[in-house]
Amino acid sequence: MTNDIDLEAEIQRLLTEHDRIAEQGITVQRREHMIVLNGEVESAQRRDEICRQISARFPEVEITCDIGITRAQAPSEVEEIS
Amino acid sequence: MIRIAAVGDVHVDKDVVGRYRPALEELPDRADALLVAGDLTRHGTVEEARCFAKEFGGLAVPVVVVLGNHDHQSDQQDQVTDVLQDAGITVLEGTATVLEINGHRLGIAGTKGFGGGFAGACASNFGEREMKDFVGTTERISASLREALHSVEADALVALTHYAPVPETLVGEPLEIYAFLGCYQLGQAIDSAPTSLALHGHAHHGSERGRTPGGVPVRNVAHPVIKQAYNVYQLLSGDIEPALTSVG
Repeated sequence: MTNDIDLEAEIQRLLTEHDRIAEQGITVQRREHMIVLNGEVESAQRRDEICRQISARFPEVEITCDIGITRAQAPSEVEEIS
Repeated sequence: MIRIAAVGDVHVDKDVVGRYRPALEELPDRADALLVAGDLTRHGTVEEARCFAKEFGGLAVPVVVVLGNHDHQSDQQDQVTDVLQDAGITVLEGTATVLEINGHRLGIAGTKGFGGGFAGACASNFGEREMKDFVGTTERISASLREALHSVEADALVALTHYAPVPETLVGEPLEIYAFLGCYQLGQAIDSAPTSLALHGHAHHGSERGRTPGGVPVRNVAHPVIKQAYNVYQLLSGDIEPALTSVG
């Protein structure tokens, strides 16, 4: 695993600026032997693309992907605003 | 009574078309209008705008939106706006609209908004030209929201932005990026008018509920925050509708 202290920042910029990703809502956290990705995206394709692009750019980095797909069901409750 | 459905940050592209539609088709039974708080698309392309229009257009309730920062990524925000308006979607940017709902006038004033920060950690209109441009944009956009809010007469007034008007709904985000997620000037604009509710998105890791310094309820409706197709908010609950007064 790289010791680059800017790794999280570089991954964060890749996630935002890469044409096929454009995600700003993913958190990148370093663990002892891996990078953990958290957050939610709109489709499984987007989650898979994130892992694919990070692996391609940083092949020495082990990635654990905890990214979820945001649910899109109708709500069951109404909030009264006062 | 008015019921408003709201969501933000849906980031529609062709891989998302169809995901929201089943819930959106239920809207007429659940709400009187749908407001979308920006980041309608991933990169702000015309093609993505067409995907959004397909998914969120042609509904049985009015749809009112503002653009977000993602919708500006390709510098095609004007063409994106045209696509949405051609699909019958109202796009606000420093403007307002009024919907007649259940005998009430619902005013909606909207803008994308911008960053700038909040009390104790905000940018100043000082120094390099780039910094003055940044804060100048904050001030200009916030002033346009203020004017839009004051331009309508309504029974209930909603402020719709992408960027946050208060820091409370950013809790969960890193403090270091608050200045890129919203600005206090939007909150000042909201407080300057008789605003009933302020809706925003942008902060995917933020919190759902807050209030402006003046006490206006603020809701962060970013999709990853609300975790469903949309939230529904009820306004003017105290007003008994004529159709209901005769019952019981």
